[in-house]
Amino acid sequence: MVNENFIRELEKIVGKSNVSVTNTGIELYSYDASLVKGNPGVVVFPANTQEVSQLVKAANKEGIDIVPRGFGTNLSGGTISITHGLVICLSRFNKILGIHPESRYAVVQPGVTNLEVQQALAKVGAFYAPDPASQKVATLGGNAGENSGGPLCLKYGVTSNHILGMEIVMADGEILRIGGPALDPPGFDLRGLMVGSEGAMAITTELTLRTLPKTQSVITMLAVYDDIQAAALSVSKIISAGILPNTLEMMDALVIEAVEASISCGYPLDAAAVLIIEVEGMIVGLKEQAEQIKEICMTNQCRDIKIAKNQEERNLLWKGRKGAFGAIARLAPNYLVNDATVPRTSLPKALEQIKIIAQKYECRVGNVFHAGDGNMHPLLLFDSRNEGELEQVHKAGWDIMKACVDLGGTISGEHGIGREKQEAMKMIFSGDDLNTQQTVKFAFDPENILNPNKVIPLSKSPGRPLESFEPTILKRLGGASCKGVVQAMAAIKNAKDAGKSVIVVGADTFSHYGNICKQDVTPVSTLSMTDIIEYDSDNQFITLGAGMSLHGLQEILGKNNQWLPLRPPFFGNKASMGSLVAMGISGPERMFYGAPRDFLLGLQYIDSQGRIISTGGKVVKNVAGYDMTRLLTGSNGSLGIITEATWRLLTRPELCKALSMTGNLDDCFGAVLELMNANLFPAFVTAVPVNNIPEDNGTDQFPKLWKMVVGFEGMANVVEHQVEQCSLLLGKHKLKELETWDYPLIDGCFKDIFNKIAMAPYTLKLATATGKMLDLINVINSIDGIKAQARMSDWLLDFGCGRIFSALDSLDKDQWASLTHGAISLDGHVHLEKAPDDFRREQDVFGGVLRPEWAMMHKIKKALDPHSLFAPGRMPGKKEYEV
Amino acid sequence: MNIFEDYDAISQCNKCGFCQEACPVFRSTGHESGVARGRLALMRGIIEDRVQWTKELEDPLFNCLGCGACTASCLADVPTADLVIKGRAEYLEKVGRKPIHKLLFEQLLPYPKRLHMAARAAAFGKNSGMSKVAKALGLLRILGRDFAKAENIVEKLPPVPFRGLVKPGEYPGTGDTLRIGYFIGCGVDVIQQEAGQESLKILKKIGKTVTVLDNCCCGLPAWTYGDIDAAQKLALKNLEAFSSQSFDVIVTDCSSCASFLKKYPKVFQGDEKNQDLAQAQTPLFQDMVEFIFKNGYSTPTGKSPIVVTFHDPCHAVRGQGISRENREILKNIQGVEFREMPEADWCCGGAGSYALTHYDLSMKVLDRKMKNVESTEADFLVTSCPACMIQLSHGIRRAGLNTKVCHISEIVTGAKPKG
Repeated sequence: MVNENFIRELEKIVGKSNVSVTNTGIELYSYDASLVKGNPGVVVFPANTQEVSQLVKAANKEGIDIVPRGFGTNLSGGTISITHGLVICLSRFNKILGIHPESRYAVVQPGVTNLEVQQALAKVGAFYAPDPASQKVATLGGNAGENSGGPLCLKYGVTSNHILGMEIVMADGEILRIGGPALDPPGFDLRGLMVGSEGAMAITTELTLRTLPKTQSVITMLAVYDDIQAAALSVSKIISAGILPNTLEMMDALVIEAVEASISCGYPLDAAAVLIIEVEGMIVGLKEQAEQIKEICMTNQCRDIKIAKNQEERNLLWKGRKGAFGAIARLAPNYLVNDATVPRTSLPKALEQIKIIAQKYECRVGNVFHAGDGNMHPLLLFDSRNEGELEQVHKAGWDIMKACVDLGGTISGEHGIGREKQEAMKMIFSGDDLNTQQTVKFAFDPENILNPNKVIPLSKSPGRPLESFEPTILKRLGGASCKGVVQAMAAIKNAKDAGKSVIVVGADTFSHYGNICKQDVTPVSTLSMTDIIEYDSDNQFITLGAGMSLHGLQEILGKNNQWLPLRPPFFGNKASMGSLVAMGISGPERMFYGAPRDFLLGLQYIDSQGRIISTGGKVVKNVAGYDMTRLLTGSNGSLGIITEATWRLLTRPELCKALSMTGNLDDCFGAVLELMNANLFPAFVTAVPVNNIPEDNGTDQFPKLWKMVVGFEGMANVVEHQVEQCSLLLGKHKLKELETWDYPLIDGCFKDIFNKIAMAPYTLKLATATGKMLDLINVINSIDGIKAQARMSDWLLDFGCGRIFSALDSLDKDQWASLTHGAISLDGHVHLEKAPDDFRREQDVFGGVLRPEWAMMHKIKKALDPHSLFAPGRMPGKKEYEV
Repeated sequence: MNIFEDYDAISQCNKCGFCQEACPVFRSTGHESGVARGRLALMRGIIEDRVQWTKELEDPLFNCLGCGACTASCLADVPTADLVIKGRAEYLEKVGRKPIHKLLFEQLLPYPKRLHMAARAAAFGKNSGMSKVAKALGLLRILGRDFAKAENIVEKLPPVPFRGLVKPGEYPGTGDTLRIGYFIGCGVDVIQQEAGQESLKILKKIGKTVTVLDNCCCGLPAWTYGDIDAAQKLALKNLEAFSSQSFDVIVTDCSSCASFLKKYPKVFQGDEKNQDLAQAQTPLFQDMVEFIFKNGYSTPTGKSPIVVTFHDPCHAVRGQGISRENREILKNIQGVEFREMPEADWCCGGAGSYALTHYDLSMKVLDRKMKNVESTEADFLVTSCPACMIQLSHGIRRAGLNTKVCHISEIVTGAKPKG
């Protein structure tokens, strides 16, 4: 309990004026934007990370619960203290610490609002993709905590895809940095796990955001329908045609009526639904896209479609959409907004269900929502002063979630679970799934003091895990019924009984991966897990067994002109999808498409108790529960054996075309810095050495001449235009000898060079921010014995992703430590993708210097796999932390 | 006065938090007590018996600038500034009012001459500590709020009030028909006399006759403080004075006064007789900006070109919906280049009875405004409210800018720039 002594403690840390305990002060922090209420015991306003750490330590000492909070616009009760604990309000963390458009990242404090960062980025021609409707007031800390969405997410993905790193204060007060501007550090994806963890694992005190250059132009359209089903059908037809609009928003008749009554922006009053469709990009090709959309809509019973002729008309169209909540809000004192999500093609059914449910509970409902990603937003109207009405809308909300899950969706697309949807988690997860998520939370927060009793349903007997049960609504396909899964479960059991560890073997492509440990390991094969469990080409996802090869998958997808846009380096034709999940690796196209972590929607895996555990789902927007999918991705099989995965797919681009130009490294780098924030959208930006260097070129033996290779993928005319513009840009930086060529879609541009690099005894990967690439090269050149090898090596400078791939003939302990230190000093990291057995036995391929965040990874490992059953040696920090 | 009457309006707040972006106080403090959602939650808490009338409510109720920006960005259109005034009124009843308010509202504001004398006395006694009178005037923003810190707010206090220079009464103009009443706000009367002189020039040029009114304070300071009784008394005194003469239009060059004069019928809610009296005169009231815009007065400067930017007084942009007219006027003057500043419609932090205790908060709001002013590199920061002018001038000095603050009348007549 919060008592006088504790309050004095807090006052010592943050000063008396930053502690709120009065009756009114408590009342003011008893609510957020949801319907949940609860009085905190005390509210504090720390000024910096040190103060947060001290506050957490003080609370720990007294056993007082903590709820972190920004501006309190949460829609699921996530910022409410339900145990009269300590609310840590981060509203004073309101500074933007740095903007680096040339490296495509920004560093901000969590109390900065989404809109403030957008405004600051706009000044340098950049933007941050997630744009929740509440962006004017929602803080970035909250965005990260909830994994927020927004209209633009259709094209660019959700918050999780755009957070690179963070500084966090752990439940014991320790301050930890995880991730950063350099992509994909070795070990577990802790930042992926933190995003969407609703303040229950740690308190975020700083965020590194991924930013993008702003596109050139935009076309906005209004499509009018006499039948809401036809509107919903158009939505899925547009996307399956391979067009990715930035927004696809729908409003139904009640909303249209309400909007027109208050704003009047030209929506026809007799329409059953309208769609606002917006495409954005290069001027070239945009009109054609708009025409194509128009055609699709008209063949799907669209009454009329009009294109905004100027900014004024565009603003008017958006004014209606943006004012829609408001217009509805005037019809009743309160509304409950539900955010269940369904696969796009189920939109018509979901809308029908919502209508029936609203009638059943006699509440008025308006629909205004992100149709493109199936994210419903039914607004249920009521008056919170009337107990009866509140109960009715809660019931209606519950039934809507049920209906959406029944259609293959999920209970929350972007608002979070918090307190409001906690019980509904049982609809989609089993008791084992939920207990596993809770185990991860307790690994971070063993005393359960951070935002306790939220997200995961409470067990009947406090302190005990939930009893075993199957999800009450969701019927998950696959699982133990799939080929090879039962055998794998048996093999794990046998190994466990024999006191051995297991290591997954797919196509045996990566047996050289990771460190070598003393444990006795039994290989378990996943190669027979080749089932295609569900392929829904309309909704653009596929669920398949871990034994299928990437190559085989691409062939299947090709029949529908789709693909999984990943070209992992060092991946042979046989390498399995399971290893792609486990390693989470990506090639230079990561800058454009993303990594496996960005395409995985859900997983099933066998855990250390031999149970099948499910994570995620099959819809793109899904914030139900802690993000186990991100945790498993890139965990190198050390948490369990992945049996199946659900992937998001894309339509194949019409054309893949590369250009190359040659020059010295400084000129190349100058061009890169401009290209990274130019109005061009390359799939990759790389450089390789030009190999005809004279042997005797003085003391500097590093390759002098480099060939920049830049690729573009997409609609043919847009690609051609960009290749031309890019060559002009490179020419401006004195690069010469332009060559252009088309390259194959599946293999991409770098298969040969990666194969060459992989032939050397050591395959080295270093990462930093793009803007620090030259410094990183200098680090390499400053290390004795490495510089000498450099000249003769194969190199790939992956500028777009801030990474260097290189081959080495030899590497000793000191050199490895120096390389690691050098990379760390540039906010980066290192990793040996391949090394000789001796090195793997003696050293740590994940880095020659111990990192503080590795300890946290081993805590998670210990919690989920206490007997170290899985993949010994495949986690960083083997000597210090592993048994 | 009982906020329970407004339970419906208060309950309309859905706690979405969109007011946070708009509220200059919240943007400075980040504290829920300084934003519409919080103030409404507390009032609802009182109605639903979770919160009691105690001194704890003083801050949340009285640190509202009353600028109305929250309502402009409120989905449900909750009129928080008005509701807060009712909350203040009940607070004064239940928790009590301070003697200095009585002094100001009952002894000074009804009597322009006393007001000016008091201001002189307080100004001369500036260094002798905080007199009661100085404190009271602080509430009016005439001498600033925290007297010790606010010595700079008023650069110079003219020895004679405006109506000492230009006696109340009828003056001939050069126009054909228009009979104009010129309402003198306290700000012009006591401090911004140069602006008043230029306004008078404009009125004389257009009107057939211009009557400098012998009005008292419009009542806005009492109203925003929540002293509804005092506000009614002041309003009634003015209404009775206006109705004894016959005008086509009553103009004031203070946007705050203009907005409140137009609001008089609302002040007498429940008092039919006086409400009718107010209703009858409301159509006559015009903001100087509206008057200039309608009558198309402008003088080419004929001097070196100047860059100007405009600060929207809350009582113009939200109080009266005036935002296009002032810009059109400035853009149409030859030799004037108009540059829009970011967040031009944000409150300057001067705001009504923003009271002695809120000096620091008010300065945070002001500093943000100054950054925006600086970004335009304007020669003149123009506005249409003398109270804003006092606050803005203080901000300019604090920020060390070369920009000069002036009233729109001074630009229109070409009085600024001088020479």
